[in-house]
Amino acid sequence: MFETTRRNFLKNSALVAASASLSQSFIADAFAADPLKIWTIGVAKVTKTWEEMGKQAGVPLVYSAKSGSADQAIQKFFVGDGQKLYDAITDNGGGQEDAMSDNKAIVPLDVSKIKNWKNLIPAYNEGNVAANTIRNKKGEIVGVPYISNADSMAYNKTKVGGDIDTWDALFDSQFKGYAAMQNDSGPTLTTTAVYLKESGKQDIVNPSDMSKSEVKGVCEFLINMKKKGQFRTFWDGFGNGVDLLASEEVLVSSCWEPIAVIAAKKGADIHYGTMKEGHQTWNNVWMLTKGGKQRGQEDNFYKLMDLYLSPWFGARTLSGLGFTPQMTGVNEYVDANPKDFDAKKKAGIAKRLKNKAARMAVKGNSWQNLYPKEMRAYQDWWSKVQAA
Amino acid sequence: MFISKNNILFKVPVIFMIIFFVLPLSLTVVWSVFERTMFWMEPGFTLFSYENFFFSARLENFVVSMLHSSVSVFCSFLIGFPIAIFIRRRVKKIAQHRVMLLFILPFMVSEIIRIFALRPILSRNGVLNDLLINFGFIDSPISAFVFTPTGVVIGEIVSFLPFMIFSTFLALEAIPNYIFEVCSDLGVNRRKMFADIYLPLAAPGLFAGSVFIFVNGIGIALIPTILGGPGSVNAGLIATQAIIALDFPLAMAVSAIMMCTLMGLLYIGHRLFNLTKLLEPIS
Repeated sequence: MFETTRRNFLKNSALVAASASLSQSFIADAFAADPLKIWTIGVAKVTKTWEEMGKQAGVPLVYSAKSGSADQAIQKFFVGDGQKLYDAITDNGGGQEDAMSDNKAIVPLDVSKIKNWKNLIPAYNEGNVAANTIRNKKGEIVGVPYISNADSMAYNKTKVGGDIDTWDALFDSQFKGYAAMQNDSGPTLTTTAVYLKESGKQDIVNPSDMSKSEVKGVCEFLINMKKKGQFRTFWDGFGNGVDLLASEEVLVSSCWEPIAVIAAKKGADIHYGTMKEGHQTWNNVWMLTKGGKQRGQEDNFYKLMDLYLSPWFGARTLSGLGFTPQMTGVNEYVDANPKDFDAKKKAGIAKRLKNKAARMAVKGNSWQNLYPKEMRAYQDWWSKVQAA
Repeated sequence: MFISKNNILFKVPVIFMIIFFVLPLSLTVVWSVFERTMFWMEPGFTLFSYENFFFSARLENFVVSMLHSSVSVFCSFLIGFPIAIFIRRRVKKIAQHRVMLLFILPFMVSEIIRIFALRPILSRNGVLNDLLINFGFIDSPISAFVFTPTGVVIGEIVSFLPFMIFSTFLALEAIPNYIFEVCSDLGVNRRKMFADIYLPLAAPGLFAGSVFIFVNGIGIALIPTILGGPGSVNAGLIATQAIIALDFPLAMAVSAIMMCTLMGLLYIGHRLFNLTKLLEPIS
């Protein structure tokens, strides 16, 4: 009741102020009492509710669910009412931040206002491997990374008889009918290209941005495998991926790490390996919308980003979902909070961090690219893989 | 005044159909010839999306999904029609509608849950294989129940069978009882009853049920996604994937092609079986 009254009062005050030709900043400040309207994926939350996340950040949040698919944001912001609806959104780094920035859907950030920006891992420093995934084409920072990973292969250690460190296993006839890949041309073609390139089976310059002939070669390889009956299915969706591994319907699967984490929690002996050939690496970033800035939500956004760059968030996303924290100081935070992280959890976190570091360090890794130059060739050849 | 009110009553549904049916379908066709841009499309005229569909593997995927849907229609007929006849002829009149309501129950559960629930039944380590092994019918699990075209057909039958039962039951319900009684008095055998009475008189219901199952079979992406094999697709999934890849004109072209195919099939059906006559009420 008080909140509503106060909000109305502030809005009315702002209108009066505007009519009296007061400054734009006053309007922005007045509206900033409104909650921050966020549009993001479920895994961005590490507490039970979004209300708890908001309390932790000191920012009231209004959450709307978003899928992980990049087309959703494009549709919502380029031809829909995204600017009106959302102040802050998340999406994939590696193409999407450029697309959103080019079309003025998001605004450059003043990272000096994010206290925990200093915690950000060095991979994002200018000139480093992930630098351009948070910057627009002008070099301005437009995204705040909060999770990342190097997607690898999950395998059932008991059933396959040991650890796996090569993508060879996914295409090995001994696992014929027990292998799965993602039903998405982007990650599946990139992962296969990494394997073919690094194992010397095909000449590929950049697995993330292949030429037409390279795409053809990769897809012909997959078609050949499919015709031999190598794949049980191509999984689509988180629950689907978990079920395939947990039910032991498939024994080897290229997948997201949280799928392996949850499948293992269901009782199957699922492990997530480090592939010597390399992986597709990716991240997800927070972005401030133009509408959010116009509504005076900049400060709220930066407060929320402080939370996402804090070890508090990093430790929880790593422990609960298996995503890579984007900040330093996670181990120290875990050590300092034994109440939240008992010895077992602590050991699990340390092991996972070590594995992640190993995966991230593989030379053949290739960064996710949402918009390869020959996108049409990717699509056309993927439909051939599906039809085979 | 009275005439004016009637006009309004007539015009409201017409306006509704124009705004929510004719207009979107027309836009689908118009957009399908637009030029694709990086993130959307711009006005223009190009048949590239159609070329992209007809001269790629998408056409093959589309034809295969129509084939699967046809098998689903046929299987639904084989299972659903006898059920509808049984309810119409053997269940007491007072209980018939209650029995029909039972077939609505599955629709109270979300479709994704219903389809997903088939996985533990049909999978290699699933209930069906366990039963078959325990009863000694097979030695090792059959992997063809799911993640194959068979899985897709099973999913479509489970999802859409009630529509075949509803529509054929409603058609059978319209047949007066005296027709069955006369046949019985004249000693007409079951085969002749089926061929000369049930089948022709239930034809409108069979037709409606078949169209519904066929359309959903090629359009609903969920079933091949959850129960299909590697890369299993139908027309709905082809359109969805085109949207994911931000190829909106292609998605529109796939939808327009779906629409034309169905209209073409209806036209052929009409020429062959005179659908107008089929859909006429029994007199």
